[in-house]
Amino acid sequence: MQVISVTSVSKKYKVYKNPGPVSLKNGIQEIFNNKTKQEFLAINDVSFSLNSGDKLGIVGNNGAGKSTLLKILSRITKPTTGTISVQGKVASLLEVGTGFHPELTGRENIFLNGAILGMKKNEITAQFDEIVDFAGEQIIRFLDTPVKRYSSGMYVRLGFAIAAHLNPEILIIDEVLAVGDADFQKKSLGKMKEVASREKTILFVSHNLTAVANLCNKTLHLEKGKVKDFGDTGKILTSYMAALQNNVFEHQYDKPENAPGNDLIRLKYAKLSPILQEDQTYWDIRHPFKIEFEFWNLGNTQNLNISLHVFASTGECIFNVGTESIACKYGLIRANLEVPGNYLNDGNYVVSFMIVKDKSIILYNFEEVFNFEIADFREDTTWYGKWPGYVRPSFSFPMEQISETI
Amino acid sequence: MGIIQRFSTQFKEILHDSELLLILAKRDISVRYKQTYLGISWAIVRPVLTMLVFLFAFKNVAKIQDLSGYPIQLVIFSGILFWNLFSTTFQSVSNSILTNGNLISKVYFPRLIICLSSTAVSLVDFFVGLIVYLILTFALGHSISIHIIFLPIALILTLLSSLGFGILFASFSVKYRDLLQLIPLVVQYGFFVTPIVYTSQSLIDSKWFIYYSIINPLAGLVEFFRFGLIVDYRLFNINILLISIGSTLFIFLLSLFVFHRREDSFVDHL
Repeated sequence: MQVISVTSVSKKYKVYKNPGPVSLKNGIQEIFNNKTKQEFLAINDVSFSLNSGDKLGIVGNNGAGKSTLLKILSRITKPTTGTISVQGKVASLLEVGTGFHPELTGRENIFLNGAILGMKKNEITAQFDEIVDFAGEQIIRFLDTPVKRYSSGMYVRLGFAIAAHLNPEILIIDEVLAVGDADFQKKSLGKMKEVASREKTILFVSHNLTAVANLCNKTLHLEKGKVKDFGDTGKILTSYMAALQNNVFEHQYDKPENAPGNDLIRLKYAKLSPILQEDQTYWDIRHPFKIEFEFWNLGNTQNLNISLHVFASTGECIFNVGTESIACKYGLIRANLEVPGNYLNDGNYVVSFMIVKDKSIILYNFEEVFNFEIADFREDTTWYGKWPGYVRPSFSFPMEQISETI
Repeated sequence: MGIIQRFSTQFKEILHDSELLLILAKRDISVRYKQTYLGISWAIVRPVLTMLVFLFAFKNVAKIQDLSGYPIQLVIFSGILFWNLFSTTFQSVSNSILTNGNLISKVYFPRLIICLSSTAVSLVDFFVGLIVYLILTFALGHSISIHIIFLPIALILTLLSSLGFGILFASFSVKYRDLLQLIPLVVQYGFFVTPIVYTSQSLIDSKWFIYYSIINPLAGLVEFFRFGLIVDYRLFNINILLISIGSTLFIFLLSLFVFHRREDSFVDHL
């Protein structure tokens, strides 16, 4: 059964260009002069429909119109043109703890926030203990304290706990998963999965593609307010991630004169490329990758080796490998490195390498030659937070039951 | 869809969300006097102090002993009670959409609920003040008029007029913030151009007073209000009252219409 249908919806905003100082003169000018207004389409001719029980993930870059679309679907704002039809009771969670009043206690805010999200008083009363339990023991102790005295973590936990106990037919969620500490995220995503497994329609905006991949059966890819792609999650995410990721990195120089380096060493060629599995279009943690170099030795015969560093985006060196030192004559020298899959964790990395003479003198340091990103990959998981660690080995780690008595 | 039909759907939606209306009202009331020592007693202090100031000005400075033959304390206090009800409701309704902007931009519910719920605090203050008024009446050796049975009607009319003006201001002030600057002025000047600390006796015979009552329905309402509170209050005029009621209802319905036309654009200007 079709529960949501969106037909060529557009939302136009007026952008006021260069308003100048606030004054009567400008105000009057603005009334008579419409040229200062520029129009901007936040949502441009979007159409799609969902059946009951569909879980839709909405992905796209910042400013693609994801949040505006959610606001239109939850009736907070009207589309400029086009129609939407939504059948069933809708709850929208565009932020955690909407309407919390700082002066009211945790207990009072549970009822207030619940009512704002559309729960009836008896529903809240019936689930009150569960909500408090879910929020954690810290909340239990401070239930009768004004929430302005709460830590931001407690505030968010309480907000999510209420939201997690909503029971609408259609649930609209915007990025609320990015809250709380790792432990709480784990708990809330588990809860999300539980909610998702019920016959409920969910619309979910997230930058956490692992969560989208695991929770949603359909995905809508928005780009600059338009539907770029809509369909099965697997297909859409693959093309989305491929478009997002730049997975060939190459530097090539024709002549030593234009190339980076110095009088002794010049870079000719450097390439970093992942070895993708078949039908894969983006680079995730499972894939090995290759680095190739060619450089010109402009000096006389000298003993050279390459020392390559891989840094995390935060600056820590993950590893450093070196070639053996060989006697290089004037001319072109090549080196190859292959890094296995299931080795680096997902994240952003930077590669630098230096050419070293006699294993001790640095002739030249090529800094930040490559800046690359590895996507996450997980199967069958309920944990969508950032996997900790810089490396992500898949060591064999067997476990077995050895006895059934104690 | 016809306008009547749209209003009735909206009315049904508000009824459906009446729990939200109540809890928002409760929120405003319980937050109002948080972290104050006097708490709800402030609802007594404010009208009493205002009355004392005018008593001082009238009795000691202007040497006036009564107003149009009625006890000066009762005329002033009932006027202030009325004016406080009107002005605090008007102000909180006018500001309600902006002060609850965070809710409006994150959750959908009938927007009018915000305006309706923000009358709660002024109502509580009013009832506290009314008790003080009754005590004052007995303390001064007067009795209560039988006409007090009309007080609920006067109260409803006052609420409708303050909602009407408030909703009009709320509808436009989201986009045109200039109106926010106007609200305190309306309250300040309205106090003097309405028979609050005087009676309408000297005005009632003037020809223009009828027209004036159309623009300012409060002039007729405050006298109706006093008619319910003060024994043998004869300055109440049924014709003027009918004009005031007509004008109040017109403003209220107009405000609902305007609000309905503008509520969809609130989020875009918050």
